[in-house]
Amino acid sequence: MGNNQYKLFIEVLRRINKAGVLKNIVLIGSWCIPLYKEYFSGTRYITSITTRDVDLLVPLPLNIKFKVDIENLLKDLGFILGFRGPQGYIKLEHPDLSLEFLVPERGAGLNKAFKLPQFGLNAQSLRYLDLLTTKIINVEVDGFRINLPHPALFALHKLVISKERKSKDKREKDQEAAIRIIRALLNKGEAEKLKLFFLSFNPKLRKRIIVILKEMGQESLIDVFGLVSL
Amino acid sequence: MGTIKNVLKEELGNSLQMEKDYLRELARLPKGSLVKKKVKGHEYFYVILRENGKVRFHYKGKLSPDEIKKYEEEKFYRAKYRKSLSNLRKQIKFLRSSLRGKQSV
Repeated sequence: MGNNQYKLFIEVLRRINKAGVLKNIVLIGSWCIPLYKEYFSGTRYITSITTRDVDLLVPLPLNIKFKVDIENLLKDLGFILGFRGPQGYIKLEHPDLSLEFLVPERGAGLNKAFKLPQFGLNAQSLRYLDLLTTKIINVEVDGFRINLPHPALFALHKLVISKERKSKDKREKDQEAAIRIIRALLNKGEAEKLKLFFLSFNPKLRKRIIVILKEMGQESLIDVFGLVSL
Repeated sequence: MGTIKNVLKEELGNSLQMEKDYLRELARLPKGSLVKKKVKGHEYFYVILRENGKVRFHYKGKLSPDEIKKYEEEKFYRAKYRKSLSNLRKQIKFLRSSLRGKQSV
């Protein structure tokens, strides 16, 4: 990632933190991968390419008693509003970064963007995001702390959603990221933790993960985790 | 190798969409810059802009500090968005040329 891009990323987080709402947000997506470096310090961990997309998960319910106009907060950095998809969900765009707010989709799902009046934005609701908030870790970045899903949940979630991807390229990218993190967890001696998170998923999702690992030719991982017998 | 190429493809798509968004934002901002003229000790404001290749002054008269601030903010954002658009177009050029390469990237 470029130096300017990283500086901008940190500045965005710093401003959100200063506004007092960073603790209500969980960073998900490819930007987690470089930030897991702290978690994996001392073990072999290789980060991968990060795209411009910064995905910010807002766990529900959002209990904030005050309003933070995030668009205004970032406007002087050059961010503009972009509207995406038929539902018109909002992205905050900059040539170096693109911020998107996400919420977990529940029940029958919404056919429209999810309103987040506390942030003056709307968010895209997506399935399976609840899986990521089962266990949150936080890492220090430039003097403040940011919430991330536990790496094991990040990896398992990537495998789960890879099956939903229509694009083969994106499916492969998700799966590669998942395997990279799983191997780092194994190097750190956290196979047992990975197994526990796996067990916390419903049987349908567990089966899906095993099928994907088999399709990927990663049977050795299934054996390592003892997933076959679960 | 495929992963890098896919990332580049995704970024190109995003950049093209973002280019449209920046052009939309620029079109929303009023054109021209505010200039101040002093006539017989009184300050009057004009908006200076180019129309059909000619420089024109549009008389605005006396403006309140809030109105002046608004013009300054618009000027700030116009410069910011133009710079962003220029960076974005450089990125698009780079991404297109990278993806055009005969070897898999």
